[in-house]
Amino acid sequence: MYRLRISIKKELILLINDKVGLALMFGLPLLLVFIITIIQDSAFRIVNNNQISMLISNHDNGELGGKLSNMLSESGMFLVVENNTIDSLELKQRVAKNEALTGIYISADFSKMLTDLSNNISIQMLKDFGLGDKEIKEASFPSIMFVHDPVLQENYCQSIMGMIYAHMGSIESFRMIESIYAEMGQDTVPDYIKQNITKNHILIERTPASKNEKMVTPNATQHNVPAWTVFAMFFMVVSLGTNIVKERNSGSFLRIKTMPSSFSMILSSKQIVYIAVGILQVFLIFSMGVYVFPHINLPELYLPQNMTGMFIITLLSAVTAVSYSLMIGALAKTQEQANGIGAISIIILAALGGVWVPTFVMPEYMQIISKFSPLHWCIEGYYILFLKNGNWHDLFRIILILASFSLAFQLITYLKFKIDKII
Amino acid sequence: MSQAIIQIENLSKRYKGSKDYSLHDVSLIINKGEKFGIFGPNGAGKTTLISIICKLFSQTSGKVHNFPIKGEALSIGFVPQDLALHEELTAYQNLEYFGALYKLTKKEVKLRLLSLLAMLGLSNVAHKKVKTFSGGMKRRLNLAIGIIHEPDIIFLDEPTVGVDIQSKNAIMTFLNELNQKGMTIIYTSHHMEEAEEFCTKIAILDYGKLIANDTLQNLYATHKVSGLMEIMILLTGKEYRDNV
Repeated sequence: MYRLRISIKKELILLINDKVGLALMFGLPLLLVFIITIIQDSAFRIVNNNQISMLISNHDNGELGGKLSNMLSESGMFLVVENNTIDSLELKQRVAKNEALTGIYISADFSKMLTDLSNNISIQMLKDFGLGDKEIKEASFPSIMFVHDPVLQENYCQSIMGMIYAHMGSIESFRMIESIYAEMGQDTVPDYIKQNITKNHILIERTPASKNEKMVTPNATQHNVPAWTVFAMFFMVVSLGTNIVKERNSGSFLRIKTMPSSFSMILSSKQIVYIAVGILQVFLIFSMGVYVFPHINLPELYLPQNMTGMFIITLLSAVTAVSYSLMIGALAKTQEQANGIGAISIIILAALGGVWVPTFVMPEYMQIISKFSPLHWCIEGYYILFLKNGNWHDLFRIILILASFSLAFQLITYLKFKIDKII
Repeated sequence: MSQAIIQIENLSKRYKGSKDYSLHDVSLIINKGEKFGIFGPNGAGKTTLISIICKLFSQTSGKVHNFPIKGEALSIGFVPQDLALHEELTAYQNLEYFGALYKLTKKEVKLRLLSLLAMLGLSNVAHKKVKTFSGGMKRRLNLAIGIIHEPDIIFLDEPTVGVDIQSKNAIMTFLNELNQKGMTIIYTSHHMEEAEEFCTKIAILDYGKLIANDTLQNLYATHKVSGLMEIMILLTGKEYRDNV
């Protein structure tokens, strides 16, 4: 016990003196979780809470262009500025000059074309019911020009265009009903029809597929904190990998071979210290999510109900990270190699594992590759707990896979040390 | 009569992928209390021989017998040429760590490390980090680590390389004191004068073969020379032995 205690003490001293390693394991991830959550949360707020600036140039000779402009303005999603004196070219230039993020140009015949189209549909409908004999006129499809800042991401553009389509659809439907009423000899559409036609009667109830009734609404914090914590854990490769290389190259491991203590005891002391580091990382980063985030206007991190499950996943993630670091330390010949290969491999495994972008948005072949990243399974374990409120049955597979990864990494480490005649 | 504590029989070593033997059919006996010097040009097989005796590597063929002393297994100390120290730890912490690995009790470690630090002139820097030490101080600490468990036999691979004259003197004086207390010392060095003064018996290796093994006086008499360097040149030649 004395030997193990002294070995742990030695590892702790080495760790405390490894300022770069500590910064990478604690400073960097805290900063990353903080920054990424702020960025993602603000992106979420831009779409959901903030208004996107929109410059509208309405040249429509009819009333429908104005109606569309009003609907967009009243939707609350856009900060609409109307300037009907500019042409489409100038509208483009103004958006290019950052006067607004988006712009809409409504052409002079917008109302006429939309009305003709609606009339044709209503005439055709009445004809089909045997209620009219008017001829269908030739009509073109109306169009509007949507201009946007090139910086605006595709998903935002699609959302905005979807909203414009929805409003235009509503106008078109209204115009069609007006036309049917007119054909039927009614001068005006009754008020209750007018009010109801523009209203959305269907309520979409958003429900994340959680296994538990007590649902936590997914937000930037629930996604980012566990993912970046796993990334931080695996970044211990820089510190532990270097530690291994340093001791091997200094001849310390060789010297230990002449001593009556087992090499596994030496490695165990390193593993105990770094597993404790992994658990401490989780504790610190999760605490920041729970206690600090709400004070700086970021969504609070809600811990899962299954705390034992969370501890098991944390422990296994730390064991996997330590095993990976030992493997890199055993394979690397120099400290530079351990640092370089260690850090770069973790960045790649993190990208594959879904730290930055969820794996489900990746192409199918990338989703298959992602399964070879241990980080993917650590994150999956946390998501089962944090987002899906999963049970032990769901976690069992993750536990098994993480244990297999750890075993494989430890086996490679053992074989490399055996080849190098350290064991 | 001398008591043999290590007997080497027809020892050969060929590293994987190498055509040549690093050690070829070496046989020698090391007696208790000897100050045994192993010399030879670069690549002669000195470190390989010591590594096999210390069980760091295995031999291709041949045998190494370690004879127990007073019924107990031979206790071995090893001082590598590389400074196998933890630079971020203090001298005290280094000795405490390696002492514990030698399975000493907490009490034994404390007692011995304080005595070793005093004997090697490191007491005043005991709680300073090794990275702040001079080359000589590091060599002395390296030696202290190798003997903290008070072994029966100590293997020293170039123990004075790159140190100042004061540290060199302190190390050699200390080694003589240990030998007087009964510790057997096996030593390699490129300092011929130091070796002449220190060793009671000499083995010379060249191209992995044992080409001389006797007391210094007998070697002088056999080869009709008056210095170890002359014997070395006579037996191993003047050409460079650069390892490329």
